Amino acid sequence: MPRLDERARAARPHGDETGRRPALALARRALRDARIRTVSFAFLFAAYAYIQPVGYRRAYPTRADRASFAASFGDNKAIRLFYGEPHNLLSVTGYSAWRVGGTLTIFTAIFGLLAAVRVLRTEEDSGRTELVAAGIVGRRTAYLSAMGAIGVGALILWLAEFAGFVAAGLPAGGSAYLALATASVIPVCAGVGALASQFAPTRRTALELGGAIVAVLFLARVIADTSSGLGWLRWATPLGWAEQMRPFSGSRPLVLLLPVAASALLLAAAALIAARRDVGTGLLSARDRSRPRLALLSSPTAAALRGQRATLIVWAGGVGCFALILGVISNSVSSAGISKSIRREIAKLGSGSITTPSGYLAFIFIFFILAISLLGCAQVGAARHEEAELRLDTLLALPVSRGRWLGGRLVLAAVAAAVISLDAGLLAWLGAASQGVHISLPRMLEAGVNCLPVALLFLGLAALAYAAVPRASAGIAYGLVAVAFLWQLVGSLIGAPRWLVDLTPFANVGLVPVQSFRTGAAAIMLAIAALAALAALWAFRRRDLVGI
Amino acid sequence: MPAPVSVVRSAEMVRVPGEEALVGAVIATTGLTKRYGATLALDSLELSVQGGEVYGYLGPNGSGKTTTIRLLLGLHRPSAGRAQLFGIDSWRDPVRAHRRVAYVPGEPALWPALTAAETLEFLARVRGGTDVAYRQLLVERFQIESSKKIRALSKGNRQKVVLVAALASRADLLILDEPTSGLDPLMEVAFRQSVLEAKGRGQTVFLSSHILTEVEALCDRVGILRAGRLVDSGTLAALRHLGAQVIEVTFAERAPSIEPLSGVTVTTTGPSTLRFEVTGRLEPLLAALAGHSVAALHSREPSLEEIFLHHYDGSDGHAPAR
Repeated sequence: MPRLDERARAARPHGDETGRRPALALARRALRDARIRTVSFAFLFAAYAYIQPVGYRRAYPTRADRASFAASFGDNKAIRLFYGEPHNLLSVTGYSAWRVGGTLTIFTAIFGLLAAVRVLRTEEDSGRTELVAAGIVGRRTAYLSAMGAIGVGALILWLAEFAGFVAAGLPAGGSAYLALATASVIPVCAGVGALASQFAPTRRTALELGGAIVAVLFLARVIADTSSGLGWLRWATPLGWAEQMRPFSGSRPLVLLLPVAASALLLAAAALIAARRDVGTGLLSARDRSRPRLALLSSPTAAALRGQRATLIVWAGGVGCFALILGVISNSVSSAGISKSIRREIAKLGSGSITTPSGYLAFIFIFFILAISLLGCAQVGAARHEEAELRLDTLLALPVSRGRWLGGRLVLAAVAAAVISLDAGLLAWLGAASQGVHISLPRMLEAGVNCLPVALLFLGLAALAYAAVPRASAGIAYGLVAVAFLWQLVGSLIGAPRWLVDLTPFANVGLVPVQSFRTGAAAIMLAIAALAALAALWAFRRRDLVGI
Repeated sequence: MPAPVSVVRSAEMVRVPGEEALVGAVIATTGLTKRYGATLALDSLELSVQGGEVYGYLGPNGSGKTTTIRLLLGLHRPSAGRAQLFGIDSWRDPVRAHRRVAYVPGEPALWPALTAAETLEFLARVRGGTDVAYRQLLVERFQIESSKKIRALSKGNRQKVVLVAALASRADLLILDEPTSGLDPLMEVAFRQSVLEAKGRGQTVFLSSHILTEVEALCDRVGILRAGRLVDSGTLAALRHLGAQVIEVTFAERAPSIEPLSGVTVTTTGPSTLRFEVTGRLEPLLAALAGHSVAALHSREPSLEEIFLHHYDGSDGHAPAR
């Protein structure tokens, strides 16, 4: 039997399908492509894992403080919605497991989905997969390299979260386990993304399909955590499994078998389909022919609306659906038996009183402000995509001015943000009213409108980033929103000076419907938004168009 | 809803150049220069294309053809100098310039979810009108599958869609960037026919290409670009006269050795044949040949390919502008 290295040498000239070097090269390429996303998530994870325990210690130093905090939060279904079921709110570790673990699993779910669609469907969509598959690398090797790259990404996030906890003084063993529970969602959701990439023929469809499934998985956890008698639903979703692993409160490491088995199953199924279908297609084949439909083709802006129509409908549907559910849930919030001092403690979380239905809705709408700000970033991202794909060259060679094109896209984004804001207000009202909560429709619509100044501010800033540094604009836009939002959540918790906390736009919105709409702050934000948009139009007129 | 621009005559009978011929240069650049970081992509380009002519813009990959076009269209900003279309600065006032221009990019970038018919309609509406009858003729000539979505079309088929949109617009100036790079020979014929029709109508065509036969067949004047600099330009006839004349001589016996002559390059092409490239006067060569038994003598003008290669053999003193 020849020695291993001899065999390797003999195999090389023919192109060794299982050769490790091309596989490594592909994995490295995939990691490099994902570096900005991975690094920003890692940074977020480390910061959040560090800040939460530190903030908790500072805000609730004594056992009595913690007991009252636990009393008010333990059964608050509205809060459970985001962070899951708390098991021990009297200790730093229990609090961290609940608050950090609960929040970050949402992010790991999104990370897994994005990563898988990026390495599989986006690559295939662009034709690069065809190039790779035509070379010496087998499709299975290419698939495994892509999954390996996601694995390394998951490892990086796990390390980041772990490091954050340890830096905050949590015990190393438990921290590693808690971070593992959070990271366990990544391979499962990557499996969802991989499978969606086999069905969907384009990147966008894959993201929409996978996103819908991840949303359902999240919803299952929400229902399990908020509805009595439906706790078993926790076993049906990877976000629930992360909870069931019970970090820092009677660990159940055997639960880890569930995500392992599920991701193995999903990834194997995806691999099986990938090996059996034609490269460049999806199982759900796109319709390649259609009768001409000439609506929304009269101008670049109309065509942009036509292109974004499906996406915007998904946004409106998703936001509306959540608003409706939150409206229904708001009825189960009550302030009975909670003293004024505890309410002050709750306010330290930066969210005001959340122990009444309207207070709860006011608190929840901060998340809608976040979502609609992200919508603005996504719309600017779509504009950038148009340029990167060189379609903008085609448009701007026609008698279309740059100002008209970019201005049209910004107006489209602003109108979409306004419609979806009102949609959130209306459906939250509908949900609340259906449960007999006394709250007026105009007040809830005002809560919707209250989302707009911040969202438009970030839209303006995203446009400016796009005009000034097109290639880096997505990272800057999403990064600004994420940092501003997290700073509002943790700034006051860690005792930062008031003026520093107030720098984030999120700290400057009135919590409608409990508080009133802050006209002054809104006017300032809108003024900055308008200035940023004008600067964007000016800068965009002065630069070269840049491809990918 | 789309306002069809005056459909005056059917495409077949169009042969009326001149009357509304444009006065002055349709394309004019002065000192047009573009740098991308440390790379000098275009170096002080002086270009002038007159109304009604078909101008061939030649150069290998990476020589700056597409950069020139992006600057002409105001998609990129000149580092120095300026580009004008119809006397309008294309960076400062692109929209006004574009009203009279149609562009076919080398890489057809269209909207994948639209069908070919929807794409043609969209481009026509945004332009503000098109010649619908001529467009229909072109759709048939180029065998466009109207109901197919762009994402299902091959590169060549997408290129045909952009070509039809541009040709049907009847714009005064057509800027074509390697428009036939994805077309099959049949469509290449359709393309040449359409360009000649456009010329017959008095439209100006700026054709960037590296397909020499195409340029030879279509163009009145040619510019040759090398590493961002225009190394030669003029009518094909003028370029030929400036280039070396080729004389192939077959001798009755083995080819003799000819003494070196200034302005004459000798290549042995067979046991009894020699090829002479002569720049300048012919007398010295004829005198040298006089003592030998010449069986046959062919003289011809250099092909465009020979002119082109002449500029790229590195002996003409133009160092690449890097």
